Amino acid sequence: MNILVCIKQVPDMEGHFTPNAAGNWFDETGLAWRMNEYDAVAVEEAVRLKESLGGGARVMALSIGPARAVEAIRKALAMGCDDGVHIEDPEALERDPWQIASMIAGFAAGRGFDLIFTGMQSEDRGSAQVGLLAAERLGVASVTGITAFEWRDGSTTVERELEGGRRCRLRLKSPALLTCQPGLNTPRYPTLPNIMKSKRAALTVLSPDSVGLESPKVSSENFRPHERNAEGVILEGDAETLAARVCEILETRTAVHGKGGAR
Amino acid sequence: MGATREIFWNTGSAAVAAMYLLALVAVGALAHGFRRRRDIWRRGKPLDRTDHPLRRLSRLLADTVSQRKVARVAEGGVPHAIFFWAFLLLFAGTLLVMAQADLLTPFFNFNLLSGDFYRLYSLTLDLAGLLAFVALGVLAARRFVIRPPGLERTPGDATIHLLLLAILVTGFIVEGFRMAATELRDNPGLALWSPVGYLFAELFAGMSDQAQRVAHRALWLAHMLLALGFIAIIPWTKLRHIATTSGNSFFEPDEPKGTLAPVDLDDESAERFGASAVGDLFWKDLFDADACTKCGRCQQRCPAWLTGKPLSPMKVIADIGDVAETASENGLIDAVSRDALWSCTTCGACEEICPASIEHVGKIIEMRRSLVLMAGEFPGDEARRACDAIEINGNPFGLSGASRGDWANGLPVSVADGKSETEILYFTGCYASFDPRNSKVAESFIKICAAAGVSVAVLGKVERCCGEPARKLGNEYLYRMVAESNIAAIRASGARRIVTACPHCFNTLARDYRELGFDLPVEHHSTFIRRLVGEGRLKLNPAPFSATYHDSCYLARYRDIVEAPRVVVEAAGGRLAEMEWSGSETFCCGAGGGRILAEERMGTPIVDERLRMARKTGASTLIAACPFCLSMFEDGIKRSDAHQSLKAFDLAEVVVRSLENP
Repeated sequence: MNILVCIKQVPDMEGHFTPNAAGNWFDETGLAWRMNEYDAVAVEEAVRLKESLGGGARVMALSIGPARAVEAIRKALAMGCDDGVHIEDPEALERDPWQIASMIAGFAAGRGFDLIFTGMQSEDRGSAQVGLLAAERLGVASVTGITAFEWRDGSTTVERELEGGRRCRLRLKSPALLTCQPGLNTPRYPTLPNIMKSKRAALTVLSPDSVGLESPKVSSENFRPHERNAEGVILEGDAETLAARVCEILETRTAVHGKGGAR
Repeated sequence: MGATREIFWNTGSAAVAAMYLLALVAVGALAHGFRRRRDIWRRGKPLDRTDHPLRRLSRLLADTVSQRKVARVAEGGVPHAIFFWAFLLLFAGTLLVMAQADLLTPFFNFNLLSGDFYRLYSLTLDLAGLLAFVALGVLAARRFVIRPPGLERTPGDATIHLLLLAILVTGFIVEGFRMAATELRDNPGLALWSPVGYLFAELFAGMSDQAQRVAHRALWLAHMLLALGFIAIIPWTKLRHIATTSGNSFFEPDEPKGTLAPVDLDDESAERFGASAVGDLFWKDLFDADACTKCGRCQQRCPAWLTGKPLSPMKVIADIGDVAETASENGLIDAVSRDALWSCTTCGACEEICPASIEHVGKIIEMRRSLVLMAGEFPGDEARRACDAIEINGNPFGLSGASRGDWANGLPVSVADGKSETEILYFTGCYASFDPRNSKVAESFIKICAAAGVSVAVLGKVERCCGEPARKLGNEYLYRMVAESNIAAIRASGARRIVTACPHCFNTLARDYRELGFDLPVEHHSTFIRRLVGEGRLKLNPAPFSATYHDSCYLARYRDIVEAPRVVVEAAGGRLAEMEWSGSETFCCGAGGGRILAEERMGTPIVDERLRMARKTGASTLIAACPFCLSMFEDGIKRSDAHQSLKAFDLAEVVVRSLENP
């Protein structure tokens, strides 16, 4: 069985984001980089599947990004992936979902992957489109945001969340592409022997053009910090003071008080 | 009439011959027993603990003869010491008899046991026997009647007590019969030199000479068999501690306290890290199990045990011993239990109080290393996330590493650039950098430095977690990652001297980083401020306040820094009241051993117990010298004390207060 996991290296969301020189995306200075947490869930599910199948199954981790993306690939290898592929693209951060999907599809086409796992979305761009677009380009079935996964005799059963806390269960045949979200599993902490092995592993490095990079369909025009339009207030004191303060705020700053129908 | 006695009186040559034969058997059993134990110890990995043998030997003799480690805790310890000394005298007396009978008489025809020397000899041994008897009685009463918590009462314990009692009593009875039949009649003046024997002799004086002789011979045989039996069972019972506990004084580590076994992360062929089987431990770890007398002191000092967590240091050692004995290849961690392993705060109270020089903490870390490095297991998901955060952001909070130096904005601190030459580099640590409460401590420290004219640089955003909590959780790889990054950053900073207000950073930089080639002087702010005050660079205007000082384990126990912080508190006006457990016997706040990164899910919070001790002093101010302790205290006070009458401060904060006094 042949499994592909597509991962992205993203900045840690606690970092301070400032616009880049062009003002259309963020500047990388001072940011710490990590594997997109949705993708970590995808890696974990792929590795669990491989382990449950025993020998014969292989998981390949693919990442598109600048040289530093190798760290994310090695992390995936340390978590249990067998092979690493790096599409070295210094401009990956600014590419739109279509371009990224075109490269994934270009790479995966003809390689006979039975299942492709990826994160539901990236933490930084958050388009949630790459998985779907890649599946479409590859012409394989796909389910987004899965929260449960089961593999049995060539068919896959997954669950995904719907609105209002409802879930649906879907069964599909491989090849298929699944985008994963937290809740599906808890990604493992890599063991040291695997970390050591991952550091020695040889990665396949490809250029964006060799996997069919296409022109963008969407461009980012403007990147700016959040404008503060609301402020939180922390009230302190005993219960009576607190209640009085809450009433005062409701009275002066909202239309709730005195209308006889707060509930 | 001369003062002496006939050795082997009334025993008959056949019995004496049998005694020598049986003595050989007993010594054979002894040797065989210890060979069996040695086979068990050899299941562990090799470790050299025989360097500087003379120094080790003198430590062994000093520890054993003085009984200082066991007598440190008076309850149980003092009667043990008295029993030991008395038994040692009796043993020496027996050896003297042997020398007389087998050496001096046949070869030199010289009677040492005569005259005044014999009188003194008789008196000494008689009193030693009495002392041993009394001490044994006290020990037995403690174990079997008073029954202090943590002290076990196994059939083996009962057997040993009865055996020792029987040896002492039969010894006196044999003496009594001999004296009744000889000295009491022929040399009553000499009989008085054996006062206890005299009492027994008086008891038997009315019996016929024949009866006395028969009884004497029978009891002599019994006494001999019991004594030889004692020798034979030493390696097979807890009595083996006579050899192994004293032996452990010889095998004690000579490295600085808190040194952990190295892990070779550069060995690419390594497939096993930490300890999941006895074969992963060192022989000394298995020897420790044999050195343990199950006195229970470690357990009664363990903050985890005392707050209802499933960790008894004593049981950890016993569990390791059990697994070693069954030669099982696996199951070490299951035997000890994960909950026990994760409950440890590495505070070292167990090792501090252990009279047998057992190293508990290193074993626990080795097993944690196996859990983390081989299985990716943590005490909880929060601890795993904290490790991820340390790896990515350089701090366990997951906050941006780029803002690490922000606390110093507006303060007289420069960010080290490799060129400027400040007097000290302040290694800030994660808590002072990111936790608002502890940033106030950092600010106070900077104010102190400014007042004393000390120029300060920080690493700023290139500083990362020192790695201590991760390392204590067993995450050696992550520790090494951040350690190497910090060492490179400090080297690039041009710093010549480092000061930190965190005992965990302090131990790590001053001791652990040495193993990685780092060699700058590192100091804790308590001793640094102490020096500034002593040199007159820091002038304080103390206003009196009542305080109690909490010794951080990593200062007091691991670094023997007990006095300096107290001198500083007093210089700042603090009138100190000591808590129940202080100095090197301090009680942990609950945050050591990486526990600061994990939720305390079992038992009651350790910090509540420490706060209880602090409140008992009546002091209004609880002074810490550690960001972990301070955080735990602040949390504990908020949770448990509605009036928050007790206030927790760092040492630097009370010093700053006295700077600002007019």
